[in-house]
Amino acid sequence: MATLALPLTLAHQTEYALRTHCPYCAYQCGILLGEGDGQPERVMGDPHFPVNNGQLCIKGWTCHTLLRHPQRVTTPLVRDKPSQPFQTASWDYALDLIADKLTKIRAESGADANGVFGSGALTNEKAYLLGKFARIALNTAQIDYNGRYCMSSAAAGQNRAFGIDRGMPFPVEDIEYAEVVFLSGSNAADTLPPIMQWFDRQKQNGGRLIVSDPRRTATARSADLFLQLTPGTDLALSNGMLAVAIEEGLIDTAFIAERTNGFEALRQIALQYHPAYVERLTGIPEAQLRTATRWLATAKSAMILSGRGAEQHSKGADTVNSLINLALALGKVGKPHSGFGTLTGQGNGQGGREHGQKADQLPGYRLIEVDAHREAVAKVWGVDPKSLPRKGRSAFELLDSIGPKGIRSLLVMGSNIVVASPDMDRIETRLRSLDFLAVFDAFENETTAHANVVLPVYQWAEEDGTMTNLEGRVIRRRVAAKAPRGVRSDIDILRELATRMGVGDKFQFHSSRDVFEEFRRATAGGLADYSGITYERIDAENGVFWPCPSEDHPGTKRLFAERFYHADGKAKFLAVTHRPAGETPDADYPIYFTTGRYREHYNSGAQTRLVSRLTAAKPSAKLQIHPRLARRFNINSGSIVVVESRRGKAEFIAELSADIRPDVLFAPFHWGGKQAANKLTNAALDPTSRMPEFKFAAVRIIAVRSDV
Amino acid sequence: MKKRLAIIGNGMATGRLLDELSRRNAGLTYDITVYGEEPHGCYNRILLGRVLTGSDTSEITLKPQDWYTKNDVTFHAGVRVDAVNTIARTLLTSDGETHNYDGVVFATGSAPFVPRIEGIRSADGKVKPGVFVFRTVEDCTSIRKYARPAATAVVIGGGLLGLEAAKSLCDLGLHVTVLHNTDTLMNAQLDKLGGEMLRRAIEKMGIYVRTGVITSEVLGDAHVEGVKLQSGELIPADLVVISCGIVPRTEVAKAANIPVKRAILVNDRMSTAVPGVYAVGECAEHDGKVYGLVEPIWEQCEVLADVLTGSNPRSRYLGSKVYARLKVVGVEVASMGITDAERDTDEVIQVIEDRKRIYRKLIVRDGKLAGAMLVGSAEAAPVLIQLFDRGEQLPPNRLDVLASPGGGVATSDDLEICNCHHVSEDTLVEAIRGGACNLPDLSSCTKAGTGCGSCRGLLTSLILKHVPAVRNGVHH
Repeated sequence: MATLALPLTLAHQTEYALRTHCPYCAYQCGILLGEGDGQPERVMGDPHFPVNNGQLCIKGWTCHTLLRHPQRVTTPLVRDKPSQPFQTASWDYALDLIADKLTKIRAESGADANGVFGSGALTNEKAYLLGKFARIALNTAQIDYNGRYCMSSAAAGQNRAFGIDRGMPFPVEDIEYAEVVFLSGSNAADTLPPIMQWFDRQKQNGGRLIVSDPRRTATARSADLFLQLTPGTDLALSNGMLAVAIEEGLIDTAFIAERTNGFEALRQIALQYHPAYVERLTGIPEAQLRTATRWLATAKSAMILSGRGAEQHSKGADTVNSLINLALALGKVGKPHSGFGTLTGQGNGQGGREHGQKADQLPGYRLIEVDAHREAVAKVWGVDPKSLPRKGRSAFELLDSIGPKGIRSLLVMGSNIVVASPDMDRIETRLRSLDFLAVFDAFENETTAHANVVLPVYQWAEEDGTMTNLEGRVIRRRVAAKAPRGVRSDIDILRELATRMGVGDKFQFHSSRDVFEEFRRATAGGLADYSGITYERIDAENGVFWPCPSEDHPGTKRLFAERFYHADGKAKFLAVTHRPAGETPDADYPIYFTTGRYREHYNSGAQTRLVSRLTAAKPSAKLQIHPRLARRFNINSGSIVVVESRRGKAEFIAELSADIRPDVLFAPFHWGGKQAANKLTNAALDPTSRMPEFKFAAVRIIAVRSDV
Repeated sequence: MKKRLAIIGNGMATGRLLDELSRRNAGLTYDITVYGEEPHGCYNRILLGRVLTGSDTSEITLKPQDWYTKNDVTFHAGVRVDAVNTIARTLLTSDGETHNYDGVVFATGSAPFVPRIEGIRSADGKVKPGVFVFRTVEDCTSIRKYARPAATAVVIGGGLLGLEAAKSLCDLGLHVTVLHNTDTLMNAQLDKLGGEMLRRAIEKMGIYVRTGVITSEVLGDAHVEGVKLQSGELIPADLVVISCGIVPRTEVAKAANIPVKRAILVNDRMSTAVPGVYAVGECAEHDGKVYGLVEPIWEQCEVLADVLTGSNPRSRYLGSKVYARLKVVGVEVASMGITDAERDTDEVIQVIEDRKRIYRKLIVRDGKLAGAMLVGSAEAAPVLIQLFDRGEQLPPNRLDVLASPGGGVATSDDLEICNCHHVSEDTLVEAIRGGACNLPDLSSCTKAGTGCGSCRGLLTSLILKHVPAVRNGVHH
């Protein structure tokens, strides 16, 4: 591709001396910050970081404006009741208050009455430390994080099939030489825009792209084959493709025999997914089903990549396994430029799910219910393994158990849970019944509205630490800006709280590097082994891929070439079957509703809604509706439409588009208040991953106003 | 103590029922026994065509023998149930044994319907060598053994299965003639025009079709030599495949005094009037309907499993909407609901593309789809079947639903090229015409391409397309 010198109008590179990574998504573009007046005032893509190669999306281009933002919280805020206005307070006062509250609640109601909610936006160091803080400072089992809403189905599926969960078991550069890529339920062009350079290169190499989505998204538009499926039928689609592959003799029997287990049981199930049945469920014509299957099967190299569209369902984990089944049956795993991967969402969605802020987990992707794992981590922490709590509740269940007899206090770090959780009205009701809510954040948001204490913390460019990107590449966030006065690091805060709670000796960390050294030891011998990774190596090598068990180990760029991570080295087929969603459209709520993201905003919008250029481009949530459906309700572009599900109602401005199926409504979930998509979503949970069903609700249109 | 559940028959209904039962942990309450007349585990009958063209039986097997052992299901292979005593709750099997049961499910399926044609049997009373039906794995393997390339075959019956058999035989290199007794093919699923369009497609594949003909005799003494039509015409043939529909197998149920009309009568719980006796699949008649397709049978199995295990005692089977697809490679046929207008108020929309051999027909009642058929292209089938299943209101312009999936209505909006900076195609074309004739110029005056950069390829092609012609160094 002819590359253009970048940027066109920006000044010379030396003015951009500070190298770090973008604060937002799992693609973790390398960025260069340029200073003016001692503060970052310009940003450009790092041309030498081999993942984004200098490209950024509009969120990245404007991310520096978050640092010195007028709405930044720069002093602790406290209040007795959320109905009162906040008062500013000293750090000592705020920290004493938190420590007192947590100690009192623990004494009254037991350790599990204190809950902790983490985030996929935290560095590995902070995620690790938060897990440790919950387990040995608070002794609570009740810690989970917003990654449960994001990556849990993909993680569960990969663990079941491969015995390990690294989102992409290969670097993004492998996309370039994949002959065929199947993106299942991912709108990467809007959610991870700079990744599209690899798809562009793939296309230039003659490669083909298949996209499945209920909407013709920017990504779907670039596809050679677009499968516009019915929401909630991703599993039926991939099982149907497998059935076609079996029928047409396209499966790789040698690979199946040599490297996998469980095919026979799957084959018996798959035979029932004949095309007429599959097209009835999915809405995908048989001809497209066959074409997609043939492309994948006959390509020398092929990839299947899943996104939240396929995963955020009450059958998300099984759906991931159905996609993996297909990749395995076609013999397209562990081979060059081939395999299954998931496109992780949050900035540290990968590292965040490995190191112990998840209810069932300990650092190094260890499991809290496995004795050997408990012992290994307890040894590093210098505590009795028996003193470690057991497995706690998953994110939604944790929040849903808030109340006088359940969770009474909650510490939230880096997550806007009100906007990010399904069945928002129910979650807000729960939050209102808390005795105490403390939030660590740089800005006030819909969640801090319920808080008793807000602790202002460092932002991304003000802190050091490691992140693990969607490839499993461990990279470094570097200090590129000075934090405003009055703001402190999460590491300091946890140390201070631990000290106040009598376990300060276990939290004597004064920098992220301190934490990282202990963290490395804690991961040693685990599945996600980071023990051989150092900050210096990350700098020198443009990141290091885990597992990396020793400093002389090169890191593991590609998994599965020789073996999978189950004891016998083989991958597992799971005989998964289609099942209906938590609720299905019926006479009362006849329309499908699904959610997703805009290119201009990131997740709950807590950051991007503060960036004027982003809100100028996308000021509100629009309801995407097909003209045929719109006509039935006399809706025009610009009409205000009130949509209702069994759980709540939300109000959007309509945007007519033939890009969406006529039976589906779409709205992004970046906003709170009246236009909150998550007021409509259903908290039906996946039995394995505990993922809520964000991508499927049954709704009805209850009012239309034509004025704006 | 566990109750004993006997399942008579081991076809696709039983296979599905066993899965549904095991999903509901029926093993905790029942000892399940399956009696299967065929010697193998349950297989996917829909895929029989593959056995005909050479696949091994194992490839279409849904439940191999060891599945039953592993899942604690007792499987009597090759054993037919000859009688049921619903008072004593016993079964008498073809091997002379008597078995007790607490509950029994008839899943006996159906048998091929063989019309009265002379000469099907030889003088010794056995089926004449060369005469076949198309129903079981054994039928297919025997046909395959008998069929040699360049041999000639006659298929009696031009329905879904007959056409499938004809195509398989044609693929094996045989000269194939389909004889159909009504005027058009697949008359149960297609109207006359649809049947005629289908006929042309089938003939294009190299299969001869004779419609409106009645076969009166199979010729040949020791083996098949041909058939004789009622008109007296003779057609030479080395083998004859009879595919004239199916008849539910109800003889055992009838003998046990279980109410039977066309098939064994069941209510919404899939139970018969006789306590402890259930029926499911092609041998069951629900609300006047007997279903021969697999999906309705799956729905019945779910209800029966709910009822038997008590996992959802309120579960009810309320009938199925029937959707048929012809499984013949090279000709797409889909059909759902009614095939012709039945009331004065029924709207009929027909789209006939004669040269492309595509026929599409909708029958609309009360604004909803009451039936549809597609011949030649089934691209619209998924959209139609979903509208039909859900009983959704159709758009005022009925033709909208026949539009290509996912792209029927053009977007009127100006196409956005640079998504990062929201620069539209119109703006860019204007800038190019205004003199921004290379990428850096275009980018600096519109900002397009300075975000993620992914639109630069498009920008380049826009420049090439719209740059003003240059003559003598002067822009015109």
